Amino acid sequence: MNIKNVVLALAGGFLFIACENDDNTAGGLLLGDYENGILVTNEGPFNNGTGTVSFISDDLSTTEHTIFNKVNNADLGNIVQSMAFVGDNAYIIANVSNKITVVNRYTFEEVASIDTGLENPRYFTAVNGRGYVTNWGDSGDETDDFVALINLETNSVEGAIPVDFGPEDILARGSTIYVAHQGAFGYNDKISVIDTGTDTVSDTIDVSLVPNSMQFDAAGNLWVLCAGKPAFSGEETAGALQKIDVQTNSVSTTFDFNLTEHPNHLSIDNGTLYYSLSGAVFGLSVTATTLPRESDFSGLSIYGMTTKDGKLYTTDPKDFASNGSLTIHSLDTKTEMNSFEVGLIPAGIYFND
Amino acid sequence: MKLIFSIGLVLFLAPFIQAQDEQVIVLDEVILSDIKLLQFSDGVKTRVLNDSVALRNQGTFTDNLRNNSLLYFKEYGYGMTSTVSFRGTGASQTAVVWNGININSPMSGQTDFNTMLSQGSNEVTIRSGGGSTQYGTGAIGGSVHLNTTLRFNKHSDHQLSTGYGAFNTRSLFYNASLGAEKDAFKIGVGHYASENDFKYLGTDVRNENGAFGNSSIDVSYGRLLGKSNIMKVYHQTFFGDRNFSGTLTAPSNDNYRDLNSRSLVEWTNFGAKKVQRVKAAYLYERYRYYPNRLQDDFSFGKASTFLVNYDYKYRFNKFVINGISELQQINADGSSILEENRTLFSGILLVSHAPTDRLRYGLNLRKDWISSYDSPFVFSFNSRYAISDTYEVSLLGSKNFRAPTFNDLYWEGAGATGNNTLAPETALQGEVGQRITFKNIHVQLNGYFIASSDLIQWRPDLSGVWSPVNVKDAKQYGFEIESGWKKRVLGHQISLNATYAFTKSIDTSTDKQLLYVPIHTARANIAYAFGKWTTYVQALFNGYVYTTTDNQQDLPGYIVGNWGLEYDLPTVWGAATTMAFKLNNLANTRYQNVAFRPMPNRHIYFQLNFKF
Repeated sequence: MNIKNVVLALAGGFLFIACENDDNTAGGLLLGDYENGILVTNEGPFNNGTGTVSFISDDLSTTEHTIFNKVNNADLGNIVQSMAFVGDNAYIIANVSNKITVVNRYTFEEVASIDTGLENPRYFTAVNGRGYVTNWGDSGDETDDFVALINLETNSVEGAIPVDFGPEDILARGSTIYVAHQGAFGYNDKISVIDTGTDTVSDTIDVSLVPNSMQFDAAGNLWVLCAGKPAFSGEETAGALQKIDVQTNSVSTTFDFNLTEHPNHLSIDNGTLYYSLSGAVFGLSVTATTLPRESDFSGLSIYGMTTKDGKLYTTDPKDFASNGSLTIHSLDTKTEMNSFEVGLIPAGIYFND
Repeated sequence: MKLIFSIGLVLFLAPFIQAQDEQVIVLDEVILSDIKLLQFSDGVKTRVLNDSVALRNQGTFTDNLRNNSLLYFKEYGYGMTSTVSFRGTGASQTAVVWNGININSPMSGQTDFNTMLSQGSNEVTIRSGGGSTQYGTGAIGGSVHLNTTLRFNKHSDHQLSTGYGAFNTRSLFYNASLGAEKDAFKIGVGHYASENDFKYLGTDVRNENGAFGNSSIDVSYGRLLGKSNIMKVYHQTFFGDRNFSGTLTAPSNDNYRDLNSRSLVEWTNFGAKKVQRVKAAYLYERYRYYPNRLQDDFSFGKASTFLVNYDYKYRFNKFVINGISELQQINADGSSILEENRTLFSGILLVSHAPTDRLRYGLNLRKDWISSYDSPFVFSFNSRYAISDTYEVSLLGSKNFRAPTFNDLYWEGAGATGNNTLAPETALQGEVGQRITFKNIHVQLNGYFIASSDLIQWRPDLSGVWSPVNVKDAKQYGFEIESGWKKRVLGHQISLNATYAFTKSIDTSTDKQLLYVPIHTARANIAYAFGKWTTYVQALFNGYVYTTTDNQQDLPGYIVGNWGLEYDLPTVWGAATTMAFKLNNLANTRYQNVAFRPMPNRHIYFQLNFKF
């Protein structure tokens, strides 16, 4: 116990010094210990454990692990799937525990816990003061999938929109929400369009099989990356990158991958789309007419990935039974800049600015 | 080639070498089902858990072994899946052997120790160290043997036991052994069930979805045909219906139902110098896993094994030579494995020699020929030497293997794919033992070293699909001390058993201790009896275990004690009745055997045993 306190005190001390040197925080006044940094959600071990959140300060001088547990002396729950920010709060989704923990994103003090009305929750977004969370429902049932509506004042589930099976990634633009139906433990090929005015599915867009990630470009086009069915399904299909015109809700461009190629982790930075494929990262301009042949990075182990301000962030889960790492590469020079140890099975990378 | 020739010679020429049969009934050959355990294991540490230990230990088979041996169990919640670790090796590196036949699942390569009942009609023997030459795949860390012993004399013994305890746990067992000069019959029927909804200490949460109900039946029959032939039939069927409990952070509503059925027919012809035996066995296993027990959807796996075995044993000049050939056909099928067959032929040669009264040693060889992969040639050397009447030393060495399972080879689906190019895991090991035995006391000390290579590990490839590879090397070393003391003075009986094991199990590439291998474990059992009363205390110390491969996270160690009290009631109408009371987790210790899965708090169990 004493050692723990010492470690905490030391970590806090470093943080304080680090913050003092940070010109961005006028007068050293911080909203909390975890403002201005990178947060990594670690899924944690399957079944027998809890997920965690790691913090890395923006100047990369400080890292701190299991911050939620330290601040609250409690567990987030099993398989921390994702996190989202709304105002001063962060919403942390524990998939197997069917729980969303609401914390102050800067102090990481628990604000509320939402543990009813969710079943296999996956991803969160918010529109006009309401939260929308994709849920698989019972994973053996393909007809009970839904998007839960969260009242962000009371932090409780106040409704559900039934959707097609396997809703995964969720993205909002204006008052419209797009849900990618990756297909849970099966395979699906749809994007649901939800009108938040009526909280109903207003349209469904047919895409390639297994849409796993979505991004908007500056022109307002929705890009969807589809993995295709894997070899072990017995009916392997090729991945695809598709552009959707959200005025007509139709696919305007499709880039097909080879049959054995199953891309993942679509992200966008400064007009360039990035995705991972078999340990490599490829980039292409939103105006490109073909898929890139050459990768920008290769030989990486990628479990989570994003890009921001000229940097590529990837997480490596190692052997899935020990602490993983977060690695930062420069998109410009294509070289590794930093690497940090994080928690067990790191998957989500978020910027707490 | 020479080896194959020698085995061939023993197997096929031997029947013609008709020795002068002296028609002496070798008792062991008659009553035992796995004679190798006795005859070709000189110097190997074996420990027999007899019926009284089993009866005393109301609870699961895991409970029984955990409290009475050095085996470490990883139990995914009380009564749930329970896998064993023997000397720091993995769950599929322990062979479970039923009447001489390896019964590890061909699909997983393991045996769930909660899919067996303690109080069946089987005798349990724990054999430490490698035994692949005799028992085949998986006998690396050691093997657990379940044997049925038949008694050929006039008797009629019945035992009925019924119990009830906390968390609505109930048990009912009936065992009978009947015999005449030429016939022996045994039957055991058992049921053990529990709501298992104990409260997690220090929380408001109960162990939800943890209910289980297990039933089994064992039947065996033996008949002497003339003076030199015996026919034996053994059968066992187990039904399990378990919900799989949740954890501190993860709720659960799944259910698992399994059926294991084993049948064995055996004919033995024996004389003074030679014994020949033919065996045929059929093993069937099936499981159904319901991810949501309220729905009909399930995934399944099933496997059947058929084997025939011919065994010829010959004695001369203090030598015993045993040649065994076996043909096995395994078929497995499941929701996520493609239906596959495996044909396996084994040739085994066992030699035992006792040049003097004090020295005995043996040499065993084995080679398997398998349709799906290349199996290594394995061997073992075992010896024991009695330096004095009270002091004995043993020296052992062996090479052992673990075959890739059907899951390893043929899995297809759910984010993973099998690898049909896998090779078997192999392990080389050496062991030194010494034992001091006086009238009332014994102490045994064994030190061992195991070097395992090509361990099969499931890993994700670059696109995240999991697949098994022969990737890891590991080494295990450690020592075990077992001691026992008993004393009887003026009707007072006291006995004490204490064991301690130091176990290092190291991943050679990282130099870290493997997951869930406690470095220190210790047990102590004290029993005291006077007149009609018996009382005992069991204490188990389980040291901390690592839960991550970088050894950064661990699960704390714990000490758990149990206390029991038994009283013999007066015999009524020929039935001797014993009342037994047991208080488990005496100190209400809060502990976890697997992380985030709290184990039961203090609870009682009451049992009535009738013998007639």
